[in-house]
Amino acid sequence: MPDLLDQIAEAPADHYRRLRISGLDGDQLAELSQRMKLSLSRVDMLAIQKIYAGWGREPTDVELEVIAQTWSEHCKHRIFGATIEHTLDGETETIRSLFKTYIHDVSKAIMARKPDFVLSAFHDNAGFIRLDDNLAVCLKAETHNHPSAIEPYAGANTGIGGVIRDILGAGKGAKPVASLDVFCFGAPDTDPEKIQAEDVIHPLGVLRGVVRGVRDYGNRMGIPTVCGAIQFDDAYIYNPLVYCGTAGVIPIPDIGKKMSAGLKVIAVGARTGRDGLHGATFSSAALDTESHEEDQQAVQIGNPIEEKKAADFVLEARERGLIEFVTDCGAGGYSSACGEMLEEVGGEIVLDNVKLKEEGLVSWEIFISESQERMVLAVKEVSLPALRDLADKYETELTELGHSDGSGILRVKHHGATVCELDCSALHDAPVRRMRSEWNRRLPTGTSEWMTSWKYDVLLREIISDFAVVSREPIIREYDHEVQGNTVLKPLAGAAGDAPQDGSVIRIDGSDQLMAIGLSLLPEWGKTAPHEMGTACVDECFRQLVAMGANPDRIAILDNFCMGNPDNPEELGALVETVKGIAAAADAYSAPFVSGKDSFYNYFETKDGPVSIPVTILVSGMGIVEDATHVTTGSLRRPNSVVSIMGTTGPDLGGSVAARRLWHGLPAHEAGELWHGLPAHEAGGKADSGDSAPPAKTWAGSPCHDNAPPAKTWAGSPCHEAVPRTDLEANLALYRKYHEAVKRGWILAAHDVSEGGLAVALAEFAFSGKGGLDLSLDALPVNGDVSKIARLFAETPGRLVMEIAPEHREAVAAHFAGVAYAELGAATDAHRDLRIEWGKETLIDEPLSELKSLWKNGLAPYY
Amino acid sequence: MEERPRALLLKFPGTNCDAETARALRSVGFDAEIAPISTVTRASLEGVSLVVLSGGFSYGDYVMSGRLASLVTEQRIDDALREFRDGGGYLLGICNGFQILTQLGLLPPGSLIHNSSGRFQCHWVTLENRDPSSPFLSQLPARFEFPIAHAEGRFVTADPAEAERYRESGLAALTYADDVNGSFAGIAGLRDETGRVLGLMPHPERFMKARDHYDPDWGEGGDGRGSGYFLFQSLFEAISTPQLSTA
Repeated sequence: MPDLLDQIAEAPADHYRRLRISGLDGDQLAELSQRMKLSLSRVDMLAIQKIYAGWGREPTDVELEVIAQTWSEHCKHRIFGATIEHTLDGETETIRSLFKTYIHDVSKAIMARKPDFVLSAFHDNAGFIRLDDNLAVCLKAETHNHPSAIEPYAGANTGIGGVIRDILGAGKGAKPVASLDVFCFGAPDTDPEKIQAEDVIHPLGVLRGVVRGVRDYGNRMGIPTVCGAIQFDDAYIYNPLVYCGTAGVIPIPDIGKKMSAGLKVIAVGARTGRDGLHGATFSSAALDTESHEEDQQAVQIGNPIEEKKAADFVLEARERGLIEFVTDCGAGGYSSACGEMLEEVGGEIVLDNVKLKEEGLVSWEIFISESQERMVLAVKEVSLPALRDLADKYETELTELGHSDGSGILRVKHHGATVCELDCSALHDAPVRRMRSEWNRRLPTGTSEWMTSWKYDVLLREIISDFAVVSREPIIREYDHEVQGNTVLKPLAGAAGDAPQDGSVIRIDGSDQLMAIGLSLLPEWGKTAPHEMGTACVDECFRQLVAMGANPDRIAILDNFCMGNPDNPEELGALVETVKGIAAAADAYSAPFVSGKDSFYNYFETKDGPVSIPVTILVSGMGIVEDATHVTTGSLRRPNSVVSIMGTTGPDLGGSVAARRLWHGLPAHEAGELWHGLPAHEAGGKADSGDSAPPAKTWAGSPCHDNAPPAKTWAGSPCHEAVPRTDLEANLALYRKYHEAVKRGWILAAHDVSEGGLAVALAEFAFSGKGGLDLSLDALPVNGDVSKIARLFAETPGRLVMEIAPEHREAVAAHFAGVAYAELGAATDAHRDLRIEWGKETLIDEPLSELKSLWKNGLAPYY
Repeated sequence: MEERPRALLLKFPGTNCDAETARALRSVGFDAEIAPISTVTRASLEGVSLVVLSGGFSYGDYVMSGRLASLVTEQRIDDALREFRDGGGYLLGICNGFQILTQLGLLPPGSLIHNSSGRFQCHWVTLENRDPSSPFLSQLPARFEFPIAHAEGRFVTADPAEAERYRESGLAALTYADDVNGSFAGIAGLRDETGRVLGLMPHPERFMKARDHYDPDWGEGGDGRGSGYFLFQSLFEAISTPQLSTA
């Protein structure tokens, strides 16, 4: 069959072609999109055909590539802007843009309530909040999922490299001061036989490659990697998730940047090559085995030293006032960077000026190549000599690409020909997608009997050695988390230097105020209760920041979504509910979103059909710690201090590590009794006893994988357990009270109660080795009839365990009078055990050294 | 007003601890300037009392760590650093700077190779001060903690006995209290015969305040001074006090 592209191409020159699209029908346009790897839909292609019909001409291949980048999901977020018919429990509503309705408008309302806090949001490469009178801080997180699936080391490497450039391209160039990394993988001990597709890299290989990729880039850049998380779930075997985030700092007057006519457009950093073609469009499609073979050209190896030199250049250029506008070269390469810069003012880019890694690139390749380590700046002509000297000083390459001209037209020239001439204003409005989503809430049944007949000490040991909870120390130690010398609260700290903290606090040079960074993701919750997942993630991130000493009124958050197939109404329904959840919590806490990103099509065509990830929201956040004395560690500091809890414990165990552990992790003979004859390893994967067709593997490996009411054999599965709700109003009141206590110097230490529940939080609290704990749950503030297992292991949001010096005991008790607060007991020098009683019954009496050993060494065999 | 002693921090592409090291130097009284290697000539060393090679990954350290940086330094300023030392100047190499000083032959023979763990290691270590008379260490106690962050910090010599001799003679001015990375004789820091050149793998610039320690109850806490402060302070006093600053 003759190639469609060749049929319609006119070749005015070797380096670009004009394509006759006016005569093509919808099928042919769709075929052309596929042939050129544009990832544009038939509707999009028809819209483009219409635009060109209006202009009375045919597009060049360069122009189609530019439009494909501009309209890609990666750049334009078409699904977050779509019109969605959403049905919840049978009630249908129309949502016109999830982004506008739940992210943008909610945040704008919060900003109106808190003037002068958020200084920039949504339009730049990262959002800024005020640190003090002179400085602002920002945070940005991105995903690099598809590249990391195909080539874990390089994918993660360029992931962190890319988000660092986002910070360098925020305002007139912010200084990167800290990074965070969050991964979702299959379990490191996944049975290779279980992986139902060729060429999929085993989770252990992905884990090792990704960690080393982050390490080798972050460490060389000299940016401390201070914060992170890993979720292990079978659902991520085929589609691992890699989130990279970076925080920055900038003088407030340098946040604003503006294009005008008559500026020079220059590039600094690496040269341009064929590496990284179609990254933006490739990451907007699903993966299959062929992706692993074909799309490798979309993944590059990073060169952190190139980026370090460019960073040194940008930061000094900004300090010396030589920059008018700067942006990074990320997805879409120069086409996106120059497009962003020139979309209103217009201008001309001459591709002949671009320094190439190899000869023979055609026009579109040069313009959309995503070669790493490049920044694009707009500068005054008069500044050019100083900038050239600066490039020499830092040994980076500076190239004059073109200029802005006020025409409103993006014009690209190559070998004397105009290969692209676009009025960007015509491209703003990509066709709005119309989508359908549906979600049916389950009726929870509360804590089932099956959960309560387990020995608590055995369960604690199981949970504390679960991959969800065990120490990330082997990985954390490979990251330089102290470079720049400002990591005040380190990811591992406490008297022994290896106890988990709730996030990190970094000092900002030139300010007395500090920046706390925290994050949360709870994908297990979202499998059955996406709305509750959303609220809980915002709550946990917010709570971590407050726990570390941040002022609850000075917190901003980021939303980073990943999901499987948005064309599946049920999966999209879960996304919609998650978005509503985070919006409700952000609004209640007045913590605006200042930046966000989304990643779709994280599903894989296996031999058994498509496997999607569960909707996964990462909420990361930054908070201002107003004084260094407010920084609060998450580890016990003294024997003989008072240990107390703030927040209410509820009965619900859905989504908890305890529930997962009981469901997945039982020895086979015991599971046999408990699970109506189903072997344990199948109990997790099958919804029925085997007669009916295999269940849809939407969320592989999860017992909660479909949205239909559970079959009878599911009685007593985690899917029947209610996921905890977040009492936003009560929690915020607690956080304000807590912060007041921190300011008064009453709190020695505080740790958030999260994955694993209260018993795990208390054990972690005491991993500093400073004392044993004698505690009772009699006074624990609870909501309703709360079982012992829920008291110990429920993951109800809103709770902090605290250490209070004896001399402040009464003052703190009085301070928290009337809200959910109780003393649990005391730290002691008499022993080094975790002892928890309930009435006269001893629920837990375990040597902390043994618990710590389980916790500390859980990941060591794998990394 | 008395003129402050000048410290020059050489910066290579990939050097990334220069800013905080300059900050540390300034906090004890130095006039510190960061000089990208592209701008450095022999004349750059005039009037300078202390040359600092700070941490990072010079040129990426893709070949042996510090190798390219040492070659570029020799290419640009030949043996000016040796002359600088012979003229009474002080040289401090931290982490990658230690690796570069070793490559330049300004420290007793040896190599810094991959940690015996095969990994990058970022954690705190206990150090033993084996040369309390050193101008770099005079104000530090017999044992103290600094953080490390390196992949290639294992100090080895062609003959292991050589490393033991460094330890006995005090050339191994700093040793690890525990086996951290497989270094021969536990060597964490090494000085030359003049005593004015010191290379160390740990990062004193990251421990300027008590608050920088992982344990919030370390020392007097808060803004109290950390052990790193005393390394820079020792050096400042040695350089500011004439009888100690000349050979």
